[in-house]
Amino acid sequence: MKRPPIIPLILPFLFLTSISSAAKPSPLPPLTGFTAADMPGDAGGAALLRWNAVGGAAEGATMEVYASDTARPGWVKIAEFPAAERTEKDMDLPFWAWRPAPGRHALAADTSSAFGRPDEAQEIEFKLRLVKGGASVETAPVKVVIGGNWFNVSRFNNLVLMLTIIIVFFWTVSHAKRKGLFIRRIAGLDAIDEAIGRATEMGRPIYYSTGIGPMSLVPTIASTSILGEVARKVAQYDTSLKVPHFDPIVMTVCKEVVKQSYLEMERPDSYRDDINFFVSQDQFSFAASVDAMIHREKPAACFFIGHFMAESLLLAEVGATTGAIQIAGTEQESQLPFFFTSCDYTLIGEELYAAGAYLSKDPMLMSTLKVQDFGKAFVMLAVVTGSVLLAAGAVFGWEPLMRIVGQLFKAY
Amino acid sequence: MIFIKKHIPLFICFFVGVLTLGSYYVPNAGSENYIEMMNKWENIVAGFAFLLGLMSLFYSHFHKITRRAPGWGYSLFVYAGFLLVVVPAIVSNGQPMKGPDMTSLGWIYRFVFTSLSGTMFAVLAFYIVSTAYRAFRIKSPQAFVLFAAAFMVILGRVPLGQMMWDGALGWTGYQVTDVIEWLMSVPVVAGRRGIMIGIAIGGIVTALKIIFGIERQYMGKD
Amino acid sequence: MKNALEKFLKIDRRLIFLALTVLLFAPIVRPLGLPNKNLGKDVVNTYNYIEALPERSFVMLSLDYDPATRPELHPQAVALVKHALRRNLRVGIFTLNAGATGMIEDIAARIPKDIAPDKVYGRDYVIMPFQPNPVAVMTQLGINLYEIYDKDRNGNPTKDMEVMKGVKSVKDMGLGICITGTAMLDYYVAYVADKYKFPMAGGVTAVSQPGYGPYLQTGQLKGLIGGMKGAADYETLINDLEKGTSGIDALSLAHVLVIVLILTSNIIMLVLKYL
Repeated sequence: MKRPPIIPLILPFLFLTSISSAAKPSPLPPLTGFTAADMPGDAGGAALLRWNAVGGAAEGATMEVYASDTARPGWVKIAEFPAAERTEKDMDLPFWAWRPAPGRHALAADTSSAFGRPDEAQEIEFKLRLVKGGASVETAPVKVVIGGNWFNVSRFNNLVLMLTIIIVFFWTVSHAKRKGLFIRRIAGLDAIDEAIGRATEMGRPIYYSTGIGPMSLVPTIASTSILGEVARKVAQYDTSLKVPHFDPIVMTVCKEVVKQSYLEMERPDSYRDDINFFVSQDQFSFAASVDAMIHREKPAACFFIGHFMAESLLLAEVGATTGAIQIAGTEQESQLPFFFTSCDYTLIGEELYAAGAYLSKDPMLMSTLKVQDFGKAFVMLAVVTGSVLLAAGAVFGWEPLMRIVGQLFKAY
Repeated sequence: MIFIKKHIPLFICFFVGVLTLGSYYVPNAGSENYIEMMNKWENIVAGFAFLLGLMSLFYSHFHKITRRAPGWGYSLFVYAGFLLVVVPAIVSNGQPMKGPDMTSLGWIYRFVFTSLSGTMFAVLAFYIVSTAYRAFRIKSPQAFVLFAAAFMVILGRVPLGQMMWDGALGWTGYQVTDVIEWLMSVPVVAGRRGIMIGIAIGGIVTALKIIFGIERQYMGKD
Repeated sequence: MKNALEKFLKIDRRLIFLALTVLLFAPIVRPLGLPNKNLGKDVVNTYNYIEALPERSFVMLSLDYDPATRPELHPQAVALVKHALRRNLRVGIFTLNAGATGMIEDIAARIPKDIAPDKVYGRDYVIMPFQPNPVAVMTQLGINLYEIYDKDRNGNPTKDMEVMKGVKSVKDMGLGICITGTAMLDYYVAYVADKYKFPMAGGVTAVSQPGYGPYLQTGQLKGLIGGMKGAADYETLINDLEKGTSGIDALSLAHVLVIVLILTSNIIMLVLKYL
C-alpha cells in the first residue's frame, strides 16, 4: 500500500492561510516622529514630547504616555488623553518660545508626581501608546535628561518690561536735580499740617496707625515714610504722638523712623520710646484696643494710613465721634468707601506711594513719580492698542494677530 | 561706623532685592529653595519680633500701673487676659479638644475669644448703618449716582428687597439680580481694575526705590 | 416743622443702633421664613462644579477664617463639607490661619453626628494641621504635599491613608476651595490656581465679594460664595437649610432699615431745601 502524499496535501492549506493573514489590514498606524527633550524654562521634572499626527486613526483612540526613571526601572502611566488632542498649536507657550509645526502633537509631560523633582537632573525614558478598541501600538522608548533651567523664556515679555521700567527709573533719578516737578495737589497730604497744628493748639494727642499689614507690604512701607514726615512736624511743635502697632516688626522699624525724625529736628529730649507700642496681632483685638484709647483720650487728629481690612470702619467711626480730624489712606478698595464716609481726607491707592515724595519735596523722590506716570501711560496705551488690534483681528479673522497680541500681554 | 550702619544694610537690601526679583525669571530648583529659605527666615524673625512686641506691651502697661497713669485699671486687664489664655493653653498642651471633651483652652476659645471677636465684627453693622445714614445724602450728581447704585445693591442682595423690587418694578422684565450682576461685572470691575493697576505700578516704584537705596527711612539716622 | 426735620437729620446715632438691634433681634426670636429664590450666579457655578466632579475626586477645602468672620463664613464651610461628602467626594480640610482651628474642630465633631454619619475619617475625609507661612505651603502643595503634611492633625501618617490615595499634589485634586475673610484667596489664585492650572473656587465675606470680579471673569476662579447670602444660597441648592438661611431674615430687615433711613434723610433734605 502506497502512503498518501502529505506535502502536496499540506501545501495548499499553508498557502490559503498565508493569503488570509496577508489580506487582514493592520488596525493602527505606527507612531512616527516621536522625540523627547527637556522642557525649556521650567523648574525640572518635565519633558517636551512631540510626535506626528496619526490622521483618521485618532478618532475614538486614546494616547497613553508612559515614563520610566532609568535609576528605578518600571513604566508608570503619567498621562492619558484623546489622541486627537494636544496638538502643537494647543501648547500654552508664547510665540517667542514656541513655533508649532502643522500635523504634529506636543505634550509637556510632568513626571514630578511619579518620580518627584530632585534638585539634580534625572534621566527618564518615555514612550507613547496609541490605544483603540482592543488594538494598540507603541513607540520605541526614548531617553532624555530633564532638569531645571536657568531662564524661563516664557517670561521674556515681563523681563523686557521690568528692564524698561528700571531704565526709566534710573533716567528720572539721574535727571532729578532739574527744574521742579509739578505734582497735583493732594488734599489729604496738605491737611497734615492743619491736623498737627490743631492738635498742638488743643493740647491733645495725635494717633497714627500704620494698619495691620506686615512690613513686606508696600502700603506699610509707604505709611512709615509718611510717619517720618508727621513725626518731624510733631517734634517741631512738641505735640504728643501715639503710634499703636499690630505688627512687632513694623513697630521696630517705626521706632527708628520716629527717633530719626526727632533727632533731625534736634528734639532728642522730647522723644520717648513708648511713642510706638505694640497692641495685639489679632485684628479685632487691635481695633478694640485702639478704639478704647481714642475714645478715652479724644485725640485731635487721627491718621489711618496703610493696609486695613474690616477694622477700618471701627477705627474711623470712633475717631469721627470724638471730633478728631481724620486722614486715611489704604490700597484696599473694599475699605476706601468706609474711609471716605468717616474721614475728612482720604488718600486712594497710589496717592499713598506718592506721599513720601510729596511731603519731603526731595528731588530724587519726586523724580521717581515720573516712573509711575510712565507706567500708567504705558498701560493705557497698551490697553487701547491691544483692544483695537484684537477687535480688528476678530472682525477680519486675523487669528495670528490675535494670538500674538494675546500672548504679548499675558503673564506666563 | 557709617560703613556698618549705612553701607552694609543698603548692600544687603540691594542684594536680596535683586536676587528675589531675579528668582521670578529663574525657574531652577535653586531659585525655589532660595525663596523657601527667605520665607522660613521671615517666619523666624517674626517669631522673635513677636517676643519683642510682647515685652513692649508688658513694659508700657507695667509703667502705666506703677505711675497710676489715667486708665491704669485697663492695663491690669492686659495681664489678666494674657494669663487667662496662656495658662489653660499650657495646661491643655495647646489642644482645644481632648477626645470628645473640650479642654479649658477650647472653652476659652469657644465662649470667650470667638464671642468677643464676633461681637467686634458685629459692631461694624451698627456703624455701617449710621454711616450710611450720614453718607448717602444727594448733594451732587455724582452723589446721586452713588445713591442709585447703593440703593439697588442694598435692595437686591436680600429676599425681602427682591420681593419689593418684583412688586414695584417686576413689570420691566428685569430682575434686580440682573441689574446688580451688570453693576458688579462692568463698572465695579472696571473701577477696581483701574485702581489695581495704579496700585501695582506704585508698588513697583516703591519697591525699586527701596532696592536701589533711594528710600531709606527704615534705616534710621545716617 | 423745620426744626423737627433738622433734628431728625441730626438724629442721635444711638437711636439708629436701637432700631437696628430690634430689627435684628426680632426675626431671630420669630423667623419670618422669607423665601430665598434668587440664587447668585457664582454660587450656582460653585455648586455645579462640585456636582460635575467624578465620585471619589479629592476636594481641598482650605478654611482660613477666624472667629470674627464665623457668622458669615462658617455656614459656607459647613454647607460645602455637606455637599462634598454627600456627593461621595474625598475631602481634605486644610488651614493656614491659626484662628480657624477651633471652627474646624466644630466641623470635625459634626461630621459623624449629622453632616455625614456614614463617612469615615481616613477613608472619606482628613483634617490637616495648621501650617504657618502660607506662600511656602502653597508652593509645596503643587509639588509634593507630603513634604509638609506628612501627618494629620492627630499625628497619624497621611501618605498611606485611603483618602489620600493617588493624591500627591494639587494636580491630583479635583477642586480647591478657600474660605477666608482675609486676602488668602488672592494668594491661592496666584500661587496655586495660576501656577499649577488648578481649579479654585472661593468663599469670602460680603464686603470682599465685589473685589473678586476680575478673577471670575478671567476664569481664575470657578465660583464664589459671598457672605451670609451666599451661604443661604448654597444651603438652598443642597436642600439643607441652616444658619446661613436663618440669618437671611435679619439681614433682609437690616437692609430695608438702611434703605428707609437713606430715603428718609434725602427726602428731608429736599423738603428743607425747598421749604
